Amino acid sequence: MNEALLKIDGLKKSFGRLEVLKGLTTTIAEGEVVVMIGPSGGGKSTFLRCMNLLEQPTEGSIVFNGIDIVAADEKTKNKVRSEMGMVFQHFNLFPHLSILDNVTLAPRLVRGVDRATAERKAMELLGRVGLAEKAKAYPQQLSGGQKQRVAIVRSLAMEPKVMLFDEPTSALDPEMVGEVLDVMKDLAKNGMTMVVVTHEMRFARDVASRVLFLEGGHIAEEGSPKELFGAPKSSRLKEFLGKVELTEVRQDKDL
Amino acid sequence: MIQGFLDDFQLCFVKNGRYDYLLSGLGITLEVALSAIVLGLAIGFLVAVVRSTHDKYGKFPFLNALARIYLTVIRGTPMVVQLLITYYIIRRSIDSKVLIAILAFGINSGAYQAEIIRAGIASIDAGQMEAGRALGLSYWRTMLRIILPQAVRNVLPALGNEFIVLMKDTSIVGYIALIDLAKGGDIIRSQTYSVYLPYLTVAAIYLVLVMTFTWLLSKLERRLRKTGADVVRNDL
Repeated sequence: MNEALLKIDGLKKSFGRLEVLKGLTTTIAEGEVVVMIGPSGGGKSTFLRCMNLLEQPTEGSIVFNGIDIVAADEKTKNKVRSEMGMVFQHFNLFPHLSILDNVTLAPRLVRGVDRATAERKAMELLGRVGLAEKAKAYPQQLSGGQKQRVAIVRSLAMEPKVMLFDEPTSALDPEMVGEVLDVMKDLAKNGMTMVVVTHEMRFARDVASRVLFLEGGHIAEEGSPKELFGAPKSSRLKEFLGKVELTEVRQDKDL
Repeated sequence: MIQGFLDDFQLCFVKNGRYDYLLSGLGITLEVALSAIVLGLAIGFLVAVVRSTHDKYGKFPFLNALARIYLTVIRGTPMVVQLLITYYIIRRSIDSKVLIAILAFGINSGAYQAEIIRAGIASIDAGQMEAGRALGLSYWRTMLRIILPQAVRNVLPALGNEFIVLMKDTSIVGYIALIDLAKGGDIIRSQTYSVYLPYLTVAAIYLVLVMTFTWLLSKLERRLRKTGADVVRNDL
């Protein structure tokens, strides 16, 4: 097994009195593609958002690059975030900036890369997802799938050590899901460490090296996709898979 | 009748170079109004960011309390009274009436601009801040580069309105014996006993000022619209 990139131990998160994460422990190794599935409200997104400290955990530790980032100061946290990419359900591109500026903003501001270098890199990345000709466009002129591909490129421009995906295809029209998943598969193939919250079971089955089933703030079950989808142990996972598989079959029929 | 008008015009504006009251008065009006807008913007941004940050993260409790007192007092008392108080408090240390007026109007306008800008900040989807932070930008940098540009764009019409109100409000600086456009017209009236022509002229000049300003603002608005969406949430 490769070296551990993220070591998460006893992670808890409460919002007021509501405890959303009830002590999660797992290790994410370099090059792994970890997919988190589970019913909504189970804590998947919150868990993901704790990893780059968009949510401050209430308890527990996250060791990244050998330091516990939960207890780190603000400056360290900013640096840690700059080394983790994050892709949101609603893209969150900056509407007042062109696509090129969306991609180059962070490298220039955070890393101090000069404009020419940042733009060259951005164009190369945009080319890789087939959006080079949109560099001068603005986010509102793009389709949902294009926006999400730009959002991925924006994260990649920072050369992250890990990419976090928070339901990256949930806000997309069905016909645009594929183009985003293709980019993600490509990333996985090239060895990017990825943590993905998704309802795309087929993606989990085909791409994940490990699947976590989160339910009620716990990691209820984890293992290879083969183990989880082929031989689910808990009744809750069986029930969950039964539900999502039904919808997937229905979608297949629609196609 | 035409002869009457020409005589009146001659008396009010030409004789003894009286047009100069309006001309130098216009200069004072512009100087006070434009400087106060800039000062108000600076105060407005500061107060708005402090208030927004406090409301969201509970930071700066002391500054926030201060900002709230400032907003309450400034918005709760008449501009003329604020101008007079400012004048009598600081006239011993600052003897430029223009500067005193700029301070009074800037501090006043800052309160209104702060609330407008705060509304603009609140109109930006939380995902924008998250996206900025996730890229490694600090809170302040995200505020400056991501949130505020969009916030200002969203509230530009309201800000423009405040600028116009401020510009016209400066016509009360006569209270501290500063001769602006309005006071200049008043002086002409008192010297010539001609009422309508000086006041109507002053009114017309204000109107032209405001119209020019409105035109400039709408041009700026169009330019900002062109470079981006007029929607706040980019996911809709």
